[in-house]
Amino acid sequence: MSKSLLLGFITYSLLLAGIASVRGEFIALALPFVVYLLAGFLFAPDKIQLEATRHLSTERTSPNSEIDVTVTVTNRGSHLEEVLLDDVLPADLKVRVGQSRHLIRLPKDSTYTFSYKVTGPRGGYGFEMVKAQINDHLRMTSREVQIEAKGQLFIFPPVMRLRHVAIRPRRTRVYAGSIPARVGGSGTEFFGVREYHLGDPPRAINWRASAHEEDVLYANEFQQERVADVGIILDGRLRMNEFSHGHSLFEYSVQAAAALTDALLTQGNRVGMLVYAAFLRWTVPGYGKIQREKILYSLAHAKPGGSEVFSDLEHLPTRLFPPESQIILVSPLQEDDLMPLVQLRAQGYQILVISPNPVKFELSYLAKNRNVDLAGRVIQMERTLMMQRVQRAGIQVLDWDVSEPFDLVVKRRLSRPPAWLRAVGR
Amino acid sequence: MTIVAMILSIILGTGSLAYGYSQAGMPDPARWCALLGIVWILAHWRKYYWFSGLGLLLTLAAAAYGVWHSFTTIWMLLSALGGLLGWDLSDFAMRLSYASPTDDIRGMERRHLERAGIVAALGFGLALLSLAIHINRLAFEVAVGLVLLAALGLTRLVIGLRKY
Repeated sequence: MSKSLLLGFITYSLLLAGIASVRGEFIALALPFVVYLLAGFLFAPDKIQLEATRHLSTERTSPNSEIDVTVTVTNRGSHLEEVLLDDVLPADLKVRVGQSRHLIRLPKDSTYTFSYKVTGPRGGYGFEMVKAQINDHLRMTSREVQIEAKGQLFIFPPVMRLRHVAIRPRRTRVYAGSIPARVGGSGTEFFGVREYHLGDPPRAINWRASAHEEDVLYANEFQQERVADVGIILDGRLRMNEFSHGHSLFEYSVQAAAALTDALLTQGNRVGMLVYAAFLRWTVPGYGKIQREKILYSLAHAKPGGSEVFSDLEHLPTRLFPPESQIILVSPLQEDDLMPLVQLRAQGYQILVISPNPVKFELSYLAKNRNVDLAGRVIQMERTLMMQRVQRAGIQVLDWDVSEPFDLVVKRRLSRPPAWLRAVGR
Repeated sequence: MTIVAMILSIILGTGSLAYGYSQAGMPDPARWCALLGIVWILAHWRKYYWFSGLGLLLTLAAAAYGVWHSFTTIWMLLSALGGLLGWDLSDFAMRLSYASPTDDIRGMERRHLERAGIVAALGFGLALLSLAIHINRLAFEVAVGLVLLAALGLTRLVIGLRKY
């Protein structure tokens, strides 16, 4: 019940009681309430006109780092005796230092600035408004207004630096890069021997092969290194990523996708990103730092989700990826994903699967006992068999135990071996 | 500061009521009135802010009952005034709980107490004045007409001020 309604009820009840009983004492009893009521309405603000601006110390940051939010409220209307300002925070953001709510007095044409620090997990957040509850001296009138104060904050996933990710797609692009192109030309890796042509550098002559013929010279040919088209698919299906007790593998998948994006773009490749969750979120392939930003924006917004249509990989839109390009699927992988992957491989795509291991992940937080160990071993064996079947289909698989840092796993399994090791055929 | 003023107001409201009732030879209801004050303070301490509205209504009902039975009017008037201040300050204390520690809480408290005090003093003064002034030759019909006119005028004034 509002204060004015309660006081009005009391005042009129006492007045009526005074009339009914013909007793002036009831009227006397009502008088303090009448004065209170009138004083409240008399000093109610007549014109409310508030403006607000917002400033964020940064608009792009990493998870759990502190961001300063500064809000300035200006009163362009009449004097406001009591204003309760409440800055509405997006869900998941937490105030770490300071307060987002203030009770102030705001004279005419004055400004009030407050700031606080927020922190939060990966995501894209939009600040929309500041709520203001304006009361008179005695709160007989109370009005709530929403002041627009927009701001955007992107908390990107942490990007691990990977030195080199060795991929070998069937088709490369024309620009020079670091991926072996299966075409002879200038490069660093030996590709073959051909007849010496005019214009070839003398140091390219293969004297040992040339010694077999009298009139012909042979030259070494090296493998060209070019950039390639890479499509990264981040599997955000709910049933693949969510586990009991609220545990999720999705953050690890996002971290892996971010690290791969960074490494592949640094190598000069054209990279596109498809987030396959409740709906498809496609980032058109591109090069360089701008593309890195675009993909990180996409990853900041990525959330696991479930839908009937995208419950398996059958509906993967392969036409988004250039023919015979490299596809990197980041997914915990399940039995029913095998066939769609084999079909992709049959279409000529080179596929690399980065698979955060769900069995080891789940075992890491479950209670240790015989039953859990036995179940874990059985499921791990099933997973190993599935992985072997995937590999037999010509798909490169990286089984990632998420307790290990991703960069170490990539360095061990996906980095290009040094030249001397390649020379001895290892 | 607000809490102290609120507790004093509640003590004033329920204490006056208890004293007025005990003066009229009703010790049991007087004890109930004192208990109401204790419960009101405890309710505020436990953050049951809704109780202050109930406390005001109960205090006022008891004061009206006292006036009806011709108990000493000044005590009934003081209890209504104490109840009103207790209710107002309880609501103000609740609003202050939303404030940040860096806000000017003391300044707001001081200004609010000043205004509530002025309003209470004015109300109490007018009430005393109305008790002191007696117009013996006023016919009942005229008195009813005046009260109705006052109620109508009050309503018009409130509507006008709210629009303003």
